[in-house]
Amino acid sequence: MPRLPTDRLIRQQGSVWWDKALAVTAETGNRIVIAAVTQAAGTSGIAPGMTLADARAVLPDLLTLPSDYRADAAMMERLARWCCAYTPWVSLDGADGLWLDVTGCAHLRGGEQSLLDELLARLGGYGFCVRGGLADTPGGAWALARCGENRSVVPPGRTREALAPLPVAALRLEHETLSKLTRLGLRRIGDLYALPRISLANRFRLDVLYRLDQALGRRAEPITPRAHARPYRVRMAFPEPITQASDIAAALQLLLQRLCTRLRQEQSGCRHLEFHCHRVDGDIQRLEVGTARPMREPKQLARLFAGHLNQLDAAFGFETLILAANGVEQLEVFQELMAVGEGEAVGGSGSVDEPVNEPASGQDIAPLVDRLGNRLGFGQVRRLQPVASHLPERAYRAVPVFEAAAAEQGTAWPPGRPRPIRLLRHPERIETVSLLPSGEPGTPPAVFLWRRARHEIRAAEGPERLTPEWWRDESSWAKGARDYWRVEDESGRRFWLYREGPLRAVVPVQWFLHGLFA
Amino acid sequence: MEDSAAPIAGYAELDVLSNFTFLQGASHPDEYVLKAAALGLRAVGIADVNSLAGVVRAHVAAREAGVQLLVGARLRFQDAADLLAYPMDRAGYGRLCRLLTLGRRRARKGDCQLYRADLADWHEGQLFVAIPPEDLGPGDLGPEADSVFARYVTELGDWARLFPGRLYLAARTRYRGDDERRLKFLSDLAGSLPIPLVATNGVLMHGPSRLPLADVLSCIREKCCIDTAGYRVLDNAERHLKPAARMARLFRDYPDALARSLEIAGRCRFSLDELRYDYPDETTREGRSPQEELKHLTWKGARQRYPGRIPEKVSTQLEHELSLIGQLSYAPYFLTVHDLVSFARSAGILCQGRGSAANSAVCYCLGVTAVDPDRSDLLFERFISSERNEPPDIDVDFEHERREEVIQYIYEKYGRAHAGMTATVIHYRTRGAIRDVGKAMGLSADSIAALATQASGWSRDGLSDERVREIGLNPDDRRLRLTLDLAAEITGFPRHLSQHVGGFVMTRGRLDELVPVENAAMEDRTVIQWNKDDLDALGILKVDVLSLGMLTCLRKGFTLIRRHYGAAFDLNSVPGKDSAVYDMLCRADAIGVFQVESRAQMNFLPRMKPRTFYDLVIEVAIVRPGPIQGDMVHPYLRRRNGEEAVHYPSEELRRVLEKTLGVPLFQEQAMSIAMVAAGFTASEADKLRRAMATFRHSGTIHTFREKMIEGMAARGYARDFAERCFRQVEGFGEYGFPESHAASFALLVYISAWMKCRYPAAFACALLNSQPMGFYAPAQIVRDAREHGIEVRPADVNHSDWDCSLEPGGTVDVTGQAMALRIGLRQIKGLSREDGDWLVAARGNGYTDPLAIWRRAGLTPRALDVLARADAFSSMAIDRRQALWQIKGLGDEPLPLFAAAGEEDRGGEPGVVLPPASLGEEVVEDYAALRLSLKAHPLALLRAQHPDFASLTPAERLMEIPVEAQVSVCGLVLVRQRPGSASGVIFITLEDETGVCNVVVWSKIFERFRRAIITARLMRITGRLQREGIVIHLVADKIEDLSPLLDRLGNGISFQPELSPADEFSNPVLPQLKQQGKTRPVPRPRHPRDQAKVLFPSRDFH
Repeated sequence: MPRLPTDRLIRQQGSVWWDKALAVTAETGNRIVIAAVTQAAGTSGIAPGMTLADARAVLPDLLTLPSDYRADAAMMERLARWCCAYTPWVSLDGADGLWLDVTGCAHLRGGEQSLLDELLARLGGYGFCVRGGLADTPGGAWALARCGENRSVVPPGRTREALAPLPVAALRLEHETLSKLTRLGLRRIGDLYALPRISLANRFRLDVLYRLDQALGRRAEPITPRAHARPYRVRMAFPEPITQASDIAAALQLLLQRLCTRLRQEQSGCRHLEFHCHRVDGDIQRLEVGTARPMREPKQLARLFAGHLNQLDAAFGFETLILAANGVEQLEVFQELMAVGEGEAVGGSGSVDEPVNEPASGQDIAPLVDRLGNRLGFGQVRRLQPVASHLPERAYRAVPVFEAAAAEQGTAWPPGRPRPIRLLRHPERIETVSLLPSGEPGTPPAVFLWRRARHEIRAAEGPERLTPEWWRDESSWAKGARDYWRVEDESGRRFWLYREGPLRAVVPVQWFLHGLFA
Repeated sequence: MEDSAAPIAGYAELDVLSNFTFLQGASHPDEYVLKAAALGLRAVGIADVNSLAGVVRAHVAAREAGVQLLVGARLRFQDAADLLAYPMDRAGYGRLCRLLTLGRRRARKGDCQLYRADLADWHEGQLFVAIPPEDLGPGDLGPEADSVFARYVTELGDWARLFPGRLYLAARTRYRGDDERRLKFLSDLAGSLPIPLVATNGVLMHGPSRLPLADVLSCIREKCCIDTAGYRVLDNAERHLKPAARMARLFRDYPDALARSLEIAGRCRFSLDELRYDYPDETTREGRSPQEELKHLTWKGARQRYPGRIPEKVSTQLEHELSLIGQLSYAPYFLTVHDLVSFARSAGILCQGRGSAANSAVCYCLGVTAVDPDRSDLLFERFISSERNEPPDIDVDFEHERREEVIQYIYEKYGRAHAGMTATVIHYRTRGAIRDVGKAMGLSADSIAALATQASGWSRDGLSDERVREIGLNPDDRRLRLTLDLAAEITGFPRHLSQHVGGFVMTRGRLDELVPVENAAMEDRTVIQWNKDDLDALGILKVDVLSLGMLTCLRKGFTLIRRHYGAAFDLNSVPGKDSAVYDMLCRADAIGVFQVESRAQMNFLPRMKPRTFYDLVIEVAIVRPGPIQGDMVHPYLRRRNGEEAVHYPSEELRRVLEKTLGVPLFQEQAMSIAMVAAGFTASEADKLRRAMATFRHSGTIHTFREKMIEGMAARGYARDFAERCFRQVEGFGEYGFPESHAASFALLVYISAWMKCRYPAAFACALLNSQPMGFYAPAQIVRDAREHGIEVRPADVNHSDWDCSLEPGGTVDVTGQAMALRIGLRQIKGLSREDGDWLVAARGNGYTDPLAIWRRAGLTPRALDVLARADAFSSMAIDRRQALWQIKGLGDEPLPLFAAAGEEDRGGEPGVVLPPASLGEEVVEDYAALRLSLKAHPLALLRAQHPDFASLTPAERLMEIPVEAQVSVCGLVLVRQRPGSASGVIFITLEDETGVCNVVVWSKIFERFRRAIITARLMRITGRLQREGIVIHLVADKIEDLSPLLDRLGNGISFQPELSPADEFSNPVLPQLKQQGKTRPVPRPRHPRDQAKVLFPSRDFH
């Protein structure tokens, strides 16, 4: 699949990009080089290996996107799975190829040629640029697919002749070896047939002979099929349908234990569980729960389901229960403590033999978050997170709790700059009375009127001068720098006021209230 | 409260970082000084972090603006908070320099490591201002803050004991809401120690408008993007210079702190003017004083230069110069240069002075320069004038391969404490600016790359909207606009210090008490912190030890001529006025000839038809951006060819312009026009020249422009003539040649042309042995040699030396002898000098097979492989493939056990027959291994293979084609150029088997065939023919990329002909830092001089 990265992107973006000159770039060292190109880009002279700058010089309006090896690999993985429709014996070849061992499968598709044609046609139909070849040996097929005529099939026993005209590059040799061969004038695989094996072995260590033998079938090269990923699913079927809530709960408990045992073995935990209950009449009842962090404790997980089990409508009874875990993530083993979580007492089981996988900590609000999340939806439970910015309204952001947990490290609230406990969403205009002519910065007002209440300022500290972020266009800061003051009124209430407007202006100085300290 | 109404005592700002604290300070030193003057500050102290690199600029500005400048540095310790150090006197300044040198010399290049303990030895004579750490202060409670506080109190106590009465504590208002508390806190702290408190403002920029730039600099420094910079950017724009009244209001409760700034300014009376520069004593003989010694040597030299009688004109000139030199006591300096030149002569290193020194008869008689004062009018005042009060500047070129010997000689003679190299300040240029600012502003990598490719299209006002649109970006985008504006603003900011190409400063006293000395990137080199302009401003003498490839070539050529033809020549004894040489130049037969080998020059030669030496002087000076931009070239040619009457705008200008037919071509003439026609004084004219040279002060240019044009108009000159003159002066500022310099270079032009004409084999051989240099790649040099009837023989293990050599044989050439040129092993890519030398040393009576080389010379199979690829075994009757095959069969080490046995005994392999190589493959392999092929030209092969090539016109037949005819040519791309002086036009030079063809591509066509032009190695170009005299251009209409044919020729081996070092597209946007040596030998333009190199490339001129 010579254009896999761009094919994938085009599939993602839809047909608008079909005929665009698009390239995927990769960073190597200090340079950005082209990793893959679409046909359109290719015909305009962009080739993999060029630096981005060179490519731009050639084609100024080239679209580029950074490469995503993981997504490409995932795509190959999916394609490999898809190919299992043709043979169970599929394996990945490098980053852009697939091996299919179709021994014994070809007749199902009307013979080798039609199998290959169908396979390639269908993949092509999905929008992939794809080349293929079929031969007796994996090496031979590799050579045909990459260097031979597309869709060619070598009849059994004819590999040697079929490969002879192909370039030596088709032998999967290292670049250096290839250039040596080229320099000697040995360009086609056929040129190698005539040479004494000992001479080849002397000069190219063993790799030329090794690859040649593989291609010609003189050395075995088995294809190892991909391992199938086992889904995180456990299942329980009953000879008699069950209807009792307690039976369902007990069955769930068993299922959870089986699932969690596997999770523990793999040192992972899950963040989302689906519980499917198949009713005898074919209906499927579903329950879902989520957690803020990966978990693998059956007890705690069971507690999350506890409130929801009564939503199940058993009717004539369930015959099969399936529990599936999604969002499986790595979960390191913690020092297992003999602590009793507060939940234990509530659950009433009183058992302490179940080790708790979390470090005991007074600030651990995870159980609370889990419960709130399962009630309100995890997107709704949010917390404030510091953002590095001098501007008060940009200095925090509300994020869903479980995302915050991951991103929290590294940012801290700025030291030394007291910020009000409550920041008004929109600063409110206040009317002020000043003792000094208000044109002079450097003094707060004496009295201000906010929401019809009069506040006499007894103490003030400031100013803290903040300048708008010049690289952003923000209407609320359009008037320029602000001088913030912390003030205290006669009843001891503290406010955060600011003065807006040109620092030197005489008249239009305006005061706003932006927050409350206490 | 009424403090604000109290009389303002005045203020001196002491805490200022200029942009010589790289990526921190956001204003130029001179901007601070001018701003301080405008605000009426009493004094301003610029203290850059561990550096004095920017002080001279500030000093010069302060001298003009009449503000007191405190010269100092901000000491940043590894183990303590910052201190500002301000020397009170010369001795204190010397100690500060020593201290900084200490810190700089122990760190890597550009870095400085100072420790508290260092100050113990070097604190005397200086005042110190302690800058409290940012995290010190009220409000921050807790153990952390306490320990910061405790540590700082101890530190201050230590300092106060070390220099009692000379320490102050700085306080500034930060506008973070707690200023009042903090000032009180600092005041209490100061009172408790006690140390006096002084008001500062922690200045980072001269005015608040630089805030965005300051933030962008922070991002570049921290390698982050503005959106993620967070607290690393400034919270407000208060860190700028403020007038005394505002400072008084901010410090209304601490008037003493304000007054103390003036106290410090009063105590630090040191000025850079006090640096009394002592030139080292030069050795004199027989008890003569330096002046007497100089006189002695000069007259001795004069008698040698003029064996018969010293011409009247010269002796008068000498008397005049000597008395002026005596008056200014520059004699030791001349003796130094004389000494260097004598050393070089004694070591057999060719050298020649250049630049304005060639205006001096003394330099001529001392053997430093080679322009005969008897034969030209010299303007000694351009070189030294008592009025300008500026030291003379003697630049001497040495052979590029042996300049290091001269440099080491200087270090040895004066010692490292007394000699150092001048720095060069590397400024942000467009490309680097857009890259760094773009990254900081979060532009995508490819937008930045796209903008950077347009860098050559930037004018002083930045990138035009059309160009932005052209590369697919939206010029109305706010972020992009900001980026472009900031990039334009940052252009001209210093980025780092680097080593000047060859400027040396020597002192009698310690150099490191004059200026801090730091390490250079090169081992064994030390660099001072000031550049050439700084030294000029302070009147410090320097010698430029430069390198010139052509001198290496000429020396090698002279040696070959002596060895093979038995004729002894040197730079002075080459016969002049050889008409055959001029004939050759008139034919533009100038490949390899100094200066005139570039395409532009070669075009110009047949039009100019040089017949005398002075014609060459003009030739060198005229094809330069200055005259071209000033539109002076064509008028000159027309007048010279008699197509236009020579007339002078006025009688007074006739004197100035007579020798160049009324067209100003030299720098001196441009200046003279300003003086004669616009009424400038000599020093004004010189200032004008300087203002042009440093174009970042573009602001001052306009005043000169006004003055010059108005001045000329008032004297009755036509306005458009005045405009033209000004444009020319403008061009000269950046790329101008003084006449004396052009004359020095013209001499080398003549000598190299003479050698090419009279000893073509020796010249080609020397040229090849001096690579890399010049405009042409070895392939063209060899081809040129063959066209001149010289037999060129291939590199061979049994015949070649490391260098190319001459051997008897071939046809008889102009010398009357038959000499063939043997390609040397140096031409083989990938062969090390060591291997080459072993191969030659162990050759004896020759090698019979590759194995013998392996055994006798101990070359590794890898090296043998390199030789085989170069087809260097042909004398053994082994072709390339056989040789490779045999060598591949060797193991990695010679086997000692088999050493005694017959060499053929190993392995007992069956013989093999490898597929024979086609001629095309051979040629391609030759190019790959040797950068040239003697077997055939690829185009000849292609022409034979492809019938449709028959419709193409070979380059040599273009002469016969009528003008405006439509022709197609095809050839290898030698060079693609996009000169800045020709807006958007591309020049391409193609080569086929019969010659070269020059193509002009208009920008419209370029856009259409952009890809082919940029990537093609083989091009077919169809266009119309234009001819002027014997100069032929093809104006392209259609361009095709035929490179795949080349690859097919090599049958899989990619054909990569070597491009000229001058080619501008082979690496469009290599980052500047990665340039060093590896990718291409030519550095990207930095200095305006280097810029010129790209415009009219030849690595030889500066």
